[in-house]
Amino acid sequence: MNTYLFLAYTLFWLIFMAYAWNLGRRQARLQKELEELQRQFHQASSGDSPIA
Amino acid sequence: MIKRFFPMSVHLAVTLVWMVVALYLIFLYAPQEMTMGEVQRIFYVHAPSGWTAGTAYFLVFLGSIAYLWKRSPLADDLALASGEVGFVFCSTVLVTGPLWAKPAWGIWWTWDARLTLTFVLWLLFVAYLMLRSFVSNPGRAAVLAAVVGIIGFVDVPIDYMAIRWWRTQHPQPVIAGDAGSGLDPRMFLTFMVSVGALHCLFAYLVRQRMALARSQRELSALRRARALEASEG
Repeated sequence: MNTYLFLAYTLFWLIFMAYAWNLGRRQARLQKELEELQRQFHQASSGDSPIA
Repeated sequence: MIKRFFPMSVHLAVTLVWMVVALYLIFLYAPQEMTMGEVQRIFYVHAPSGWTAGTAYFLVFLGSIAYLWKRSPLADDLALASGEVGFVFCSTVLVTGPLWAKPAWGIWWTWDARLTLTFVLWLLFVAYLMLRSFVSNPGRAAVLAAVVGIIGFVDVPIDYMAIRWWRTQHPQPVIAGDAGSGLDPRMFLTFMVSVGALHCLFAYLVRQRMALARSQRELSALRRARALEASEG
């Protein structure tokens, strides 16, 4: 296969994989933070010990 | 509503199947171009990426107008998501272009109208995203970004028409060009399938990015509520 053709398709896919990975990582981090905050919120509103 | 009729998992599956079909057509179905040979197959990923970047900026433009008009967070999410994913597509155009230019023209880059305007489009995406991240007030950032999104759109039609209006190093259009231009039917089919596949991928990534923006908004609202509760308590 032609080197330029190989490089073009490889870089194309690498760029998208890097972006998808970054998006997934940001989503997971946010989800974790959101769940933690919701848990603390429920705890506080139900009269349990306040948030540390 | 889209989520119910076209869930993310189905969207991802459709995108992957479409991409596989596109790759099959690109490497096994489309005929080899006579003068450039195998390297011409970069066309099937380079040009559709450019079209998708244009679609992305058009959605930034529409989302920005809708946001300034209605102040709808959904419109702002659409503009932001399209801006970010459009930046990725525009980057692939600027990466695959020089890799095709070098064997075809003997140079990596030249400042002709089409290439320069595509580079300007990429800079507009960068400016749009930088504005979103560096202005600390989210409402102000959304308004300023919407203004950039609307003004910057002027680059897209000029970029599209550049190879029709001016003599450029970049080839003249082979699709919707003058009489005498055109593609072999198998090349045309392959090209259109690639355009569809990349637009499907674009839509999937935009939906993912919009979900992320929604989560970020929820998180901010929870933080505000918690701060309010703490100040009252």
